[in-house]
Amino acid sequence: MLTYLPKRLGQGLLTVFLTVSVVFLLIRLAPGDPAAAFAGPLATSEELAAVREQFGLDAPIFQQYLIFIGQLFTGNLGTSYSFQAPAMTVVMERLPYTLTLATSSILLAALVAIPLGMWMARRADTGGEVGVNVLTVAGQSMPDFWTGIMLLTAFSVVLPIFPASGFTTWGGLVLPTITVAILQVALISRMVRREMVNNFNSPYLTIARSRGVSERLLTWRYALGNAGIPVFTALGTRFAAMLNGVVVVEVVFGWPGVGSLIVRALETRDYPLIQATVLITALLAVAVQLLIDLAYPLLDPRVRLGKAASV
Amino acid sequence: MSTATHITQAPATSSAPSAVTAKALKASASARRARSAKIKLWAGAILTLLVFLPIVLANFLPLADPNAQNLGARRLPPLSDGYLFGTDQLGRDLLSRILFGGQTSLMIGVLAVVVSGAIGVILGSIAGFYGRWADVLISRVLEAQMSLPLLMMLLLVVALFGPSIPVITGVIAIAQWPEVARLTRSLVLVEREKPYVDAAKTLGLHKISILIKHVIPNVFKQASLVILLLLAQAVLLESALSFLGAGPQRPFATWGRLISDGQDYITTSWWMVTLPGLVIVALVVGVNLLGDALRDGRPRRKNRKEA
Repeated sequence: MLTYLPKRLGQGLLTVFLTVSVVFLLIRLAPGDPAAAFAGPLATSEELAAVREQFGLDAPIFQQYLIFIGQLFTGNLGTSYSFQAPAMTVVMERLPYTLTLATSSILLAALVAIPLGMWMARRADTGGEVGVNVLTVAGQSMPDFWTGIMLLTAFSVVLPIFPASGFTTWGGLVLPTITVAILQVALISRMVRREMVNNFNSPYLTIARSRGVSERLLTWRYALGNAGIPVFTALGTRFAAMLNGVVVVEVVFGWPGVGSLIVRALETRDYPLIQATVLITALLAVAVQLLIDLAYPLLDPRVRLGKAASV
Repeated sequence: MSTATHITQAPATSSAPSAVTAKALKASASARRARSAKIKLWAGAILTLLVFLPIVLANFLPLADPNAQNLGARRLPPLSDGYLFGTDQLGRDLLSRILFGGQTSLMIGVLAVVVSGAIGVILGSIAGFYGRWADVLISRVLEAQMSLPLLMMLLLVVALFGPSIPVITGVIAIAQWPEVARLTRSLVLVEREKPYVDAAKTLGLHKISILIKHVIPNVFKQASLVILLLLAQAVLLESALSFLGAGPQRPFATWGRLISDGQDYITTSWWMVTLPGLVIVALVVGVNLLGDALRDGRPRRKNRKEA
């Protein structure tokens, strides 16, 4: 444990560092000029040069990179071109919205998916279950932007129950949450089913049954209990993915989160803002992953951290 | 294992009464599993072909030009004269646009799966077979990529390098290779411990030729089952990218683009969003069901035994 934590932290930070470095290089290698995007099509070459100097883009890339690394240590990634405010502040203002959406979605997904998966596992391959199973495949197959538009049309245009965009009332959270959760419910319920069916077919369960353990205990304690770790891991990984994977849904619902921010930052070639967004989301994703790994020993006493670190 | 043989044997041995009736066998878990795999296989095949065939044959079907505008026939609802799926805001035939756009979407999907499959199998088998630093390096890259903001990175690359077909294909392939590589690695790890590998070594074969001639062909069949699931994912990814405006523009708008264009008219012309979406869902559900049924493997294994 004492060597495990620093080692994992180091690996995580290295991943984040490499990511932001790759992004730093990519955006500068690509065609497109932030100065031109900022100054507009009528700018003269002198004006463009002045803007470039102001943004610090006239320096050689290597020198820009060194400055960038210095900025990483201070946590100040420069001023966003389009917002004219510190890029980190802009991202941090948007982050709570994305976190709210991701948290409510994962909660809804867990609340629906685990009971649904248990039900599917108990009645695996019966008539009704095959139907529900096909429905979960459909849930996995619907493009989220399409589901979002459909829900939006149905429940805020045709039947005006929920607001159409933004996050002004709590009602505004409902439709985006459902849209994000559909895919998660499909994935996680199928996983719960698969794990539990495997457990139901294992010898230890047959033995327990032959020794008179009640069906209820078999389902909850044995089959579900042993599905705990993989399901928990999946929930955590899905949550980490959601912190940056809700881009599309945010765009559809006009959600003021990090996802819609990066789309705008890319359009305007806002280098500091792109870098700040990528840095924050990568840090969050790595942190969540680390927390999941640290929680293993709490769920399963057999797991010793550090010994089986490379799963 | 094989319930079919039990059932066919039952009448022959009916002189010896058994508590296991044909009905009980039919209700057994493995028979039920085989049946549900069969249902999925058929449903998947029908859905997939329903979308796939018209797309492939689009050039030979009597369709209007997908880019021909007819401003006198704007936003006609489905089933109105000559327009099975209706028309869009410029009077273009929606069915024709969906089918020709689908050609691009499918081509990108298939190419992306081929590229990611190749990268994944090569790197995964190297990591699994050689182990040591190759494994450490490749596994670290895998882990790093899996913890990254994926869609954001894809958007970034497409936004920066332009939404051309090669860029989008490459980007989707890069998004997908970790899955193939992980699977191949784990299969190769098992395979390399088998006696035939030692035998080949003893016979003096070079490590590389053992890997290419013996190990990869042996894991290929299992690894290739993941292809259908990847194809489904690739089609979804492409549609998400083109919805965000990072899809190919030429020759025809792809599905995600059709949906984002139709979004502005959703209150008056529901079909412009609903129908392209339903086509995506039908294709992806079909491919996913096929992949599911094949992965469960019941029908295939039975066939092999009977053959």
